[in-house]
Amino acid sequence: MPMSPRKVNPFPAKSAASLRLVRPLLLLAVLGFPAPALAVQVHGSPEGLYAHMLAHIFFASALAFLLHVLHRRPLGTGSAWRYFKLALFFFLLWNVDTFVVHWLSLRLEENAIIGGSKLWHHRLAPPLDAERWIFYLGRFDHLFCVPAMYFLVRSLRAFCAETEGRLKRLGEGA
Amino acid sequence: MSGGLPFLPVYVGDFVGATLMIVLSLQAMRYAWRLTRLERQNVLWTYLFWLCLALVTLAVSRSAGHILRFLMELAGCHFGWRLLAPFSGGLNSLAFMTVAVLTFYFYNVYLVNERVRRHALALAEAHESLQCLNQTLEERVEERTMELRRSEQKFRRLYEGSKDMIFFCDAEGRIADINASGVELLGYERSEEIVGQHLSAFFSDEAKWSRYFCTLNSVGHIKDFEVEFARRDGARLYLMIAASAIRDENQVMQGCEAIAKDLTHFKQVTDQLIQSENMASVGQLAAGVAHEINTPLGIILGYTQLLEEDFGGNEVVLEPLRIVEKQTKVCKRIVADLLRFSRRTSEGELSRIKVNHCLEEVLSVVEHSLNMDHIYVQRVLADDLPPVVADRERLRQVLVNMITNAHHAITKEGIVGIWTRFNTHSQELEIIIGDTGGGIPPEVIGRIFDPFFTTKGVGKGTGLGLSVSFGIIQGFGGRIEVQSPPRQAMLKEAGMRTAFHIILPVEPAGGGNC
Repeated sequence: MPMSPRKVNPFPAKSAASLRLVRPLLLLAVLGFPAPALAVQVHGSPEGLYAHMLAHIFFASALAFLLHVLHRRPLGTGSAWRYFKLALFFFLLWNVDTFVVHWLSLRLEENAIIGGSKLWHHRLAPPLDAERWIFYLGRFDHLFCVPAMYFLVRSLRAFCAETEGRLKRLGEGA
Repeated sequence: MSGGLPFLPVYVGDFVGATLMIVLSLQAMRYAWRLTRLERQNVLWTYLFWLCLALVTLAVSRSAGHILRFLMELAGCHFGWRLLAPFSGGLNSLAFMTVAVLTFYFYNVYLVNERVRRHALALAEAHESLQCLNQTLEERVEERTMELRRSEQKFRRLYEGSKDMIFFCDAEGRIADINASGVELLGYERSEEIVGQHLSAFFSDEAKWSRYFCTLNSVGHIKDFEVEFARRDGARLYLMIAASAIRDENQVMQGCEAIAKDLTHFKQVTDQLIQSENMASVGQLAAGVAHEINTPLGIILGYTQLLEEDFGGNEVVLEPLRIVEKQTKVCKRIVADLLRFSRRTSEGELSRIKVNHCLEEVLSVVEHSLNMDHIYVQRVLADDLPPVVADRERLRQVLVNMITNAHHAITKEGIVGIWTRFNTHSQELEIIIGDTGGGIPPEVIGRIFDPFFTTKGVGKGTGLGLSVSFGIIQGFGGRIEVQSPPRQAMLKEAGMRTAFHIILPVEPAGGGNC
């Protein structure tokens, strides 16, 4: 004979009676003592930069993901794919570089950059510690993004050549 | 102003870099656009196009930060840059997000697309195969039908053309199909007359049928099974059967298929061989006995004749003496027959003889007595028969024996048929002497050539006629065969019930007389 599961009442008689008393009191407290709704959230000034930095992380994650899957399961071989992976790699480096620069800029004091209103007078004020050196060198981010874009162009050009050749062969075959 | 690191190299780098980024991104965009034009359905090209679009946006947006800012600062328009800077940063963020989303989605879409493409390819191949199959289906069916027809014809030819009897039976043992040789062998004209008959009806011995059927059922096949069949006309057939049971998937017997070889002729030859051996031994015995009896019989006959001369006028004595003389002569004749049987053809002169001529001579003597008993002779004598080498007197003796036997076989009126023919293939001359009498019972047909075997009444035959004839013909290098009833349609149509075939070899040279 199968055993029937034992039913357990989560609210014994005493607890149930207490709950019946607490619920109206809670409702009274909520409705009787209103506070400001705060429906529109006010954002502080660094929020834009944080959003931008998060976008960099998102961008870098996507690039790392694509590099990883292309390494695990290549979609193709040849120079086009090689340039494409180089482009992804340099874009990844650029993201890391810019993220670090953004982060360090938050840490710099307000008077770290001196020189007034003229751009060509701007200087990074001493003391030049490692953090400031990293910040300064990291500002040369085009050393990463320009090669990345260059490799992307090479890759696309190779893809074009391959596709045109393939389609031509198909056309001749037909 | 001194100390610190100047930002001018950074700004110059930014200016140049941003310009290069715009140029390169537009170049990339151009190639991506071209790729999408080349293959509109390619997911990778679509991804690269949108990636390049996002990167162009990024490059242009960044240019605001690096180029416009520089230019505005040079122009002294600080306010303009402060207005544009948030838009530039926002656009950059949007471009990053777009590229990231595109990248994350691209790979999964690519995998799905690849799977769909593979399936589509497989579907297209299957469709092509089906189309190809559909186009060649008719040809394939025709080719297969031809193959089947050829195979069927091959086995049909084997079945129809076989000289052995091939037949099929159902589960109950009824004949389902039989080939033409089988029909002819069993004495029928059409297979429809046999189909449906029970196979046991053809077995002379019921016990053999039971053995045949039980063996097939239990073992599944039977080999070299010797059996006696009864033809439609009552004649016996000696067959050797090899048969296999036909079973279904549950091993239940559904029928049988069999091949039967006709051994009748072989058996006859074997019987004749045994007969010859028999006769040879009896002949030796008879020769010894005859030789010993012949001398006393000659003395008895001589003295009897002397006594007859001595008692010439005394009828009382002469009458018994004549009886003694007559019976002694009968004994002498028997002894002479025995001696002739034992000597075979050791005596006599061989010459080339025209058989038809010889037959006419014999008939001129015996035909009158045949006609007296309302027995008529039907002659079918072939022209231009080659001569045979034989002893004239002995051949005549054989022919007289045979015709006399035919005469005795016909109780009332009837026909004695005589045929002569020449077989060019075997170079043999055949004399057939048949009668419309009662035929020879199967149980005695194997013994008719035995010495002293006779079915005639006492005093009518000595039982040596056929034995002597057999020995004489064998001496000529020929043979005598008997068929009762005859197998040949020609003889059957003539109403013959028994036929003796005297077969003599023919030598190709010269001629002769009888």
